[in-house]
Amino acid sequence: MADKSEAERGEDAKVAISPSIPFGNDTVWADVSSLFRLACNVRPEVTIKGTSIMIVKGGDERDCAIIHIAWIMEISERFSASMFLVSIPSPSFKTHSSTFRNAVTLMFFLITYKTTAKNIHCCNLATDLRTDELISGENFNLFAAMSALEIMDPKMDSGIVSTYYSVDEAIDSGAAPIPLSFDGTVDIQRVIDIMDHLLACEATWHKGGSLAQTVFSCIYLLRPERTSSHALLHSFCRVIRTTCNTVVSAVSDARTNEEEDLFTMAYGLPLKVDGDDKCLSILHAVEETISRQLKACKAPLSKRKVLEDVEPLQTNLDLEEGFCKAVLCRLRFRKHLYHVVTCMRRPQGKGLELAKKHIISCLCELDSMLKSAEFLRDHCACGTLEDGVEDKTTASGCQPIGFDSTLNSRSAAPTPPRAIKLLSWTKAVNYFQKLLHDLDIICSYSLDPVFEGALRFVVDFQKFQPDLVARAYIQLLLVQEGKLYGREPMFAVICRAALLPEGAKNHDVQKNETVGQLGQLLISLLRVLCTNTAWQRRKLGKILQDWRIIYVQSVAGIAGIAGIAGLILWVLELAFRKEFGDITNTSTDQNLCLKICKHILIWVEEQTYWIALRFLVLGFELELYSTSEYCMVYWYIYVILIKLAEKTHLKMMLSNDSSRRKSKKKRDFVKDMGKDYQIPPAVLLLQCYIYIAEGLMMMLASLRNENKIFLCLGPFNTEQERFIQHFELLQKACLPDHASYFSFRETTAHARFSTLSEYNCFKDAQRMAKELRGNFANDPERMAELRRIEQVAEHNCVALNLLCRLGTLEPSLKISFEFIHHPHFAVAAVKRS
Amino acid sequence: MEAEEGKAEFEASEIEYVSYGGEHHLPLIMKLVDQELSEPYSIFTYRYFVYLWPHLSFLAFHKGKCVGTVVCKMGDHRHTFRGYIAMLVVLNPYRGRGIATELVSRSIQVMMESGCEEVTLEAEVTNKGALALYGRLGFIRAKRLFRYYLNGLPSAEAVVSRPEPNYSASGLATGDEAEGLDEGINSVLT
Repeated sequence: MADKSEAERGEDAKVAISPSIPFGNDTVWADVSSLFRLACNVRPEVTIKGTSIMIVKGGDERDCAIIHIAWIMEISERFSASMFLVSIPSPSFKTHSSTFRNAVTLMFFLITYKTTAKNIHCCNLATDLRTDELISGENFNLFAAMSALEIMDPKMDSGIVSTYYSVDEAIDSGAAPIPLSFDGTVDIQRVIDIMDHLLACEATWHKGGSLAQTVFSCIYLLRPERTSSHALLHSFCRVIRTTCNTVVSAVSDARTNEEEDLFTMAYGLPLKVDGDDKCLSILHAVEETISRQLKACKAPLSKRKVLEDVEPLQTNLDLEEGFCKAVLCRLRFRKHLYHVVTCMRRPQGKGLELAKKHIISCLCELDSMLKSAEFLRDHCACGTLEDGVEDKTTASGCQPIGFDSTLNSRSAAPTPPRAIKLLSWTKAVNYFQKLLHDLDIICSYSLDPVFEGALRFVVDFQKFQPDLVARAYIQLLLVQEGKLYGREPMFAVICRAALLPEGAKNHDVQKNETVGQLGQLLISLLRVLCTNTAWQRRKLGKILQDWRIIYVQSVAGIAGIAGIAGLILWVLELAFRKEFGDITNTSTDQNLCLKICKHILIWVEEQTYWIALRFLVLGFELELYSTSEYCMVYWYIYVILIKLAEKTHLKMMLSNDSSRRKSKKKRDFVKDMGKDYQIPPAVLLLQCYIYIAEGLMMMLASLRNENKIFLCLGPFNTEQERFIQHFELLQKACLPDHASYFSFRETTAHARFSTLSEYNCFKDAQRMAKELRGNFANDPERMAELRRIEQVAEHNCVALNLLCRLGTLEPSLKISFEFIHHPHFAVAAVKRS
Repeated sequence: MEAEEGKAEFEASEIEYVSYGGEHHLPLIMKLVDQELSEPYSIFTYRYFVYLWPHLSFLAFHKGKCVGTVVCKMGDHRHTFRGYIAMLVVLNPYRGRGIATELVSRSIQVMMESGCEEVTLEAEVTNKGALALYGRLGFIRAKRLFRYYLNGLPSAEAVVSRPEPNYSASGLATGDEAEGLDEGINSVLT
């Protein structure tokens, strides 16, 4: 408590205007109440009241004094209201934590710099409070106190100093030497270890770790100027920084990281360094040199004379070839990866072809890296390895030098640090292989101008469970400058999706506000579909409401004029009158406008049901349903599918109708209608799903009714309540109208196996799926889906027959539902127990 | 005392359930939670719950030893009076014998009597035991929260239950959530 007595005299202690907080091994932090008191005395104009700053003395379990400090940052617009509370062991305990130093720095800032602030609150620094006691005040209560961080608790204190206080201290202590060794061979071994460890860090970052705790745990990256004397390391660090920077901006622009906000947090990190933009030329020069070194060491003796001027990469000539190769594939991987991430950002998908070529090269270099692992293990710098290399972050298995993941934690937000376990080097290589394959799928995409095609592409892409970076790139491709692929205006996309004739896309109706809103909805739908499935489902549930509203708004206008989408028409009509002053023309245009609105409205409904279906089926992928809830879920899927099929069919009929009217005389058209009308394959595919959903629903209902299994029991939640909880968003949006718990009960309450055996939906599904094969012969994705449907149908057909025969007779039958053939449609497994 | 497989031997009737009774219970709760749960909490977090809702926290004792605890809160959440189960812990050797179910049921009972329309909680997706327990009580898995926990586990599920039998749809959320914010994170109390 030395500081206190000194401060109380009020003579020597001064409040610094630009506070510098002492730290180091010799500093012992003590009760700082006197400093604050002094600060208040020095600056009488500072109003300090309330309980924002609180200091408590006492002994904790470790028998040492602790101090709690809390304040509210409300002093200017720059600081929003926020509470921070720290507790440190002192004075017998040396505080090795930057959190406390930062806390005191900020507090000094508040008191000394912002002298005019009226709302700094500070309590009288009660010295007679007991351990852990709290002061309660206007702005400080039990809830606020929960933001307390306990300093030196590794679970809570991100500022805890474990090895070094600063990067400079780490460097001074020799944690990141340059050169890495005066022995050329060891130097190159260590550089390779750094390259490998950085790959592990980068993959861990992509998987959700913070940049500061992963890639930028590398001291060499943190001090860009230091590496300039080491060409190889320097070029590698530059390309790493630039690649990270490109990826951060891609993810930030795409905003697909809603729940992975750590990803783009790069505050205080040297992500953009002068000269990094030239990283490729520097990398190229280094690559050239090493290529020559490799050539030189491989050349037969007779030719070596010519290459004599080439200095070897390292000192052990027997190992020269192995090291040259190991370094080269690592450098080339970085080069191609950088090309991939930049080419894919070119507008309108123009760089995709080139990116694809670089992806192939990247994968090739990754293979070479894997091949180099054996050589590196055999000649590693750290001697023989006892443990396996499976969980090591380098190919050689050696611990790399120059890394400290705790150095940056102080730049993290004042929240508890997240535990990060680095991926192993092998897993990192696997991660990048997966990423590149995912990116390759994006690059191979044909940029289908049909919206439905784009939707299917994203949905199919999500089946591969792409990680954040790949999802960001698909989103950047789909939506650019408010257009599909940056080239198709949303209204044109809507017209095509609604199966309107080509000319419609130039119609003035696109200037209408509602149409504009619809375009925005479409963009946000595409974006949502690119996010992780957990967040995607929640967001889809919410946007359903918007889609419903836009539909209802348009229909509400019907009453006004002309029978359909009155509001839109009205706006348009006004515009025409103004422009041409000719009312006679309006009726022709009204007809066209009517037609556009009619098509769009049906399509909006279809799309809304599509979103509802996606919302429901994602619940299976996220394992949100229990088996006892499957019956109601399949019932809901069934009713949504019926509506979806109905709207899709209507849309197609309307479009056929228009095109036929155009091409044929009226009497021919009427004749045709009865003769050769065929249900479109897209609708029949939906019908397949309807059969499967119905079959599952009825099979589950029969099991519930007859075998008394899969019932929603539990002391606290009735089945009806569960129904409402699961489907409240659909119910709120009236999707579909009149769908309720009671209609579900009505459909399923009387289901019996005896009835099901007569009418087997699975058989219908199987038959229809087989028939549809011919229609989708050119679409491998859909062919695969048909096969899955057939498998589900076939499997369930057998199960249903078995249950019909034995179900009630053999109560010992064990029935479970599995997703072995299809992610959303279960198959029943019937076993004798 | 402890049988094979690390399980304790005891009769269900030997377990005594006590409502939070004061500061002397606090160290017991803290020790259990600190030991078994991944999330770090300061003493003030515990205090927030047990001071404001002491009647919603329960402890289970076996021969004087605290072997389980539940810590909860309740309050308005978007026009719904909602209960929230913050922490539930039963020591490993005492698991599988219905202690957690009893603890949670007691809390929910009090919540219902106090007018709660729904009860929510979050659990780690990998914690199959907890998910099954809550499932049996009638909780539904309402949503999955990606990277919710600090221990780096990829995701967690929030489960919602509405214990009020005559649940009314008028009490539904109004959809006024902040755009882009994770609602699960918003509802976190620590």
